[in-house]
Amino acid sequence: MASKNNNRGPQRGGRNNQPDPITRWIVIGMVSLVVIIGAVFTIVSNKSSSNVALPPGASKEDGYGIVFNADKTPTINIWEDFQCPSCKRFEQTNGSKLYELIQQGKAKVVFNTLSFIGDESVVAGMGGGCAADQGKFLEYKKFLYDNQQEEHSGTWTKPYVISMAATLGLDETKFAACLNTDKYRKWLTNVADAGGKANINGTPTVVIDGTIIESDQQGINYYTPEGFNAQLVKYGIK
Amino acid sequence: MMEEPTEVIARLSKRTQALDWLGLFARLALGGVLFAAGAIKIPTPYKAAAAMRAYELLPNSLASFFGYILPWFEVGLGLLLILGVATRLSGVVGALLMLLFIGAIASAWARGLSIDCGCFGGGGEIDPNETKYLQEIIRDIALAICGFYLYFRPHSRFALDNRGK
Repeated sequence: MASKNNNRGPQRGGRNNQPDPITRWIVIGMVSLVVIIGAVFTIVSNKSSSNVALPPGASKEDGYGIVFNADKTPTINIWEDFQCPSCKRFEQTNGSKLYELIQQGKAKVVFNTLSFIGDESVVAGMGGGCAADQGKFLEYKKFLYDNQQEEHSGTWTKPYVISMAATLGLDETKFAACLNTDKYRKWLTNVADAGGKANINGTPTVVIDGTIIESDQQGINYYTPEGFNAQLVKYGIK
Repeated sequence: MMEEPTEVIARLSKRTQALDWLGLFARLALGGVLFAAGAIKIPTPYKAAAAMRAYELLPNSLASFFGYILPWFEVGLGLLLILGVATRLSGVVGALLMLLFIGAIASAWARGLSIDCGCFGGGGEIDPNETKYLQEIIRDIALAICGFYLYFRPHSRFALDNRGK
């Protein structure tokens, strides 16, 4: 049956109903062009570049994250997106513990800002770099999580984030100049590219000395203080 | 009672028409899903790449690469199917793509990974009891059938392929 239909194809009714090759080829050409340009654009714009403005404390060797206590061991990387609800949970559970480790010099702590949930993550992430310019990355980060809205709620526009920074006591003019010029947009692209190479497929992801610690697997749960501390103890942090 | 030749022709042409409508349905189902799936993922390429890496089937950089280009490919293939251009080829490529997806999802399932297929954005690690492997595979089988149907009977209603000179 199939082959019978197959043989008839477009020439039904005996009419000389040949397909129109020009229109077809134009459409095929245009679609292919869009696909190729789009794909190349996506690959190129997600590649990290070398001459990029980095915020103070950011280091290429640490996935372009912002580093605290560069000379200490072990190294804890926190890959996060300021817009992700689980990252807020993680921050509220373990943020103070991490700040304590930083203050007491018990570990090297690196915050890698990913921004893949959407544009608001990019605005908030660039703001992280601008806050680091003024030495207030951690305060900014905590403040953002404390005031986090639902994903894609449209809250974190540039003017809104600038007003948040002002509330935090950052120099509003400097912060606005930094954010409005997208000074750290390419930095975020570099962080994202580094995250891809480090096989970071979700947020938050905790990496200690290069080992990805996945929550909810093999009895690991870092959404409780005890669960997170248990992981730290494994790497000699008490 | 014997059918008159005119009756036979009328009956066959009715059947042809019905199959043409079925072809249109197959094109819009497969093409529409591909187009939508691609278009949703294009604004968040990092997520698409991460979803691809989460299958743990390809080396990291290769998985990211395919994660970046797949959404565009899906959009292009979807457009061709919706417009009805090169229907036979687009149909079989779409069907083979679905078989590839089915294989990847089944392999993730068999290896005990708990990931979202990432078909329409999303993707990556999820809670083990939130996986939907079976539904995802059934959906892709239905779409693969649409594609193979178009391979064996590419003629359909409202296709650019039909345009006369």
